[in-house]
Amino acid sequence: MNAVQTFKLTKEFDSLVAVNGVDLEIQKGELFSLLGPNGAGKTTTIRMLCCLLKPTRGTASVLGYDIAKEPFKVKKLIGVSPQDTVLSERLNCWENLALIGRVHGLSSDEVKGRSKELLETMGLMERSKDQVRKFSGGMKRRLSIAMALVSDPQVLFLDEPTLGLDPQARRAIWEYIAELKGKKTILLTTHYMEEADFLSDRIGIIDEGRVVALGTSQELKTSLLEMRSMVVSTENLTAEVMEDLRNKYSRLEMVKEKLRISHKDLNFKEIVDYLHSRGVTVYSAALEQPTLEDVFIQITGKELRD
Amino acid sequence: MKFWEIGKRNLKEIYRNPVLIGFLLGMPLAFMLVFCAALGGEQASPIAMSVVDEDHSQTSSAFSQILGSIEAIELNEPIYSEKSQAQEDLEDGRISFYLFIPSGFEEATQAQQTVNLELAYKAADPLIGLQLKPIIEAVGSEFLGMAPPLNVELKGTESKIKNEVVNFYAPGIAVFGLMILISTAAEIIAGDREKGFLARMFTTPARPWDFILGYSLPFIPVLIISTLIYLGVGMALGLTVVGNLGHAFLIFFLIGLCSIGIGMIVGSLIKSESQAGVSWIFIVPMAMISGAWFSVEGMPSAVKSVAGALPFLHAIDGSRAIINGSSLSAIMPDLYWLVGWAVVLFAAGIILFRRTMVS
Repeated sequence: MNAVQTFKLTKEFDSLVAVNGVDLEIQKGELFSLLGPNGAGKTTTIRMLCCLLKPTRGTASVLGYDIAKEPFKVKKLIGVSPQDTVLSERLNCWENLALIGRVHGLSSDEVKGRSKELLETMGLMERSKDQVRKFSGGMKRRLSIAMALVSDPQVLFLDEPTLGLDPQARRAIWEYIAELKGKKTILLTTHYMEEADFLSDRIGIIDEGRVVALGTSQELKTSLLEMRSMVVSTENLTAEVMEDLRNKYSRLEMVKEKLRISHKDLNFKEIVDYLHSRGVTVYSAALEQPTLEDVFIQITGKELRD
Repeated sequence: MKFWEIGKRNLKEIYRNPVLIGFLLGMPLAFMLVFCAALGGEQASPIAMSVVDEDHSQTSSAFSQILGSIEAIELNEPIYSEKSQAQEDLEDGRISFYLFIPSGFEEATQAQQTVNLELAYKAADPLIGLQLKPIIEAVGSEFLGMAPPLNVELKGTESKIKNEVVNFYAPGIAVFGLMILISTAAEIIAGDREKGFLARMFTTPARPWDFILGYSLPFIPVLIISTLIYLGVGMALGLTVVGNLGHAFLIFFLIGLCSIGIGMIVGSLIKSESQAGVSWIFIVPMAMISGAWFSVEGMPSAVKSVAGALPFLHAIDGSRAIINGSSLSAIMPDLYWLVGWAVVLFAAGIILFRRTMVS
């Protein structure tokens, strides 16, 4: 049995189709990421799976329980960390964790034990008795994830868990999430491709409410991506040469003063030879590994940050 | 007992929020202190009154002495025998006003005829005339009703109410304070909706009733504690509870429930925490037309009708009456209004709050 399964899951808001016939199968213990730009339908999908929104059509099950017919059973099994860091601001860490734990039916002793463990894991013990309104964004996010975990849920939904955090705080959260891999079934939404790449067992790329690609990071990069890229460090690059290259290759861009050329069946030697023949000095040239962004661009025809 | 956990959280969010507590307790107490201290402090000093006795009779002299024996009046000596002299002193500012007793006063009183007295005062200080006229009329009526020789006995009755001003303001301001629960409840509910806290809690296995109870019951201890503080401060300022304190508390409790119900309605309808401020557009005018600070007697009948249709006027009238010694049965109409409104508003609050969960 899959931990999470959706069947043509659809949500419409008046004329807007936010989620359009999504079919997903997430296995127990898997960390699955929904990767897509803002407004792609990631949060709406999670809100339906958490029984916060009723699907317009289709349905889904969490550990065998239908989200529409048995929401109470579903809610007992899940932990949720919403996109906005939603905490009770005038409560301290212990009180926030106790609130969620007790509502999930844990005893006081169970809550205390779990809270202690989580606060230590998340590095929050030192400030655990402070009201959380005084916390930084990263600390709040860590507490939010701890709140999702306090009931020891079988399925964890993390909606944009590192949104708005600085790289250091983001990396810390990734490490906490990585520690959960294999222990919990995790559905994570993100629009950071490196986050999906670093954490996920499998990734579903979602755009305009549809899952447009599905697989492991490597599968997506190799099987779906026919385009290859190379980065060249040059001097004497003229507008004329650039125009020639633009006409010949699919994508041409300047990245940190280096020329990046992307094309199907890219021929490394042919490009270097051409540049030499046009009097361009080539200091270095290297083939680039494809990224998830390349995959996204190839599938949707637009950049992920859009 | 999931509702208990949600309720505990909401109670902590209220009492740890200095702004909410400031509005809920600070503002009514400040009003109480200002109104009671300014208007209900020490009794005003007696007004010094001059008399022109043109009659020079035993009766006129006795009448003057009786006026002088009243606590609010201090008789200036000597008593003028000529009106012109008093008028000159008034014009020169040596006296503030005088009472003129014309000749024939004794004869007229013996014949039970109308006696015309004249109270002359500075036009720039009309309040003295307005204050004294009813006193002189009252004493005069009593005096003129007696057959000579005069034997007017002024029998003062010791009132159980130490300070009528405080007994007027304290219940009114207590009800105003409980009206602030409207804004408090609206702010908590709307804030939790706006920030997504309610949505987060909806992903937990709590039932709708856990939320309804968890978002309404915490206001009950707030209501009780606020009422105790309002009454305690009122008593410290001189409030005398002549009637049954428990009955007065019942009135305050019912109006508190009405306010919580309205707060749940407002909190369920508005979109954000900041919009909870709109409740003040309702609270302040409603407190004014319900008699929290001023008597409603002089208000236009249309305004009185509006106030009478709503619960706050009944709470203020009812609590004042109970505190001043009325029995519960004497204020039954007010009580019926309050119970009716409390049920309706609380039910409407629950229905609308539940609707936010469904949506």
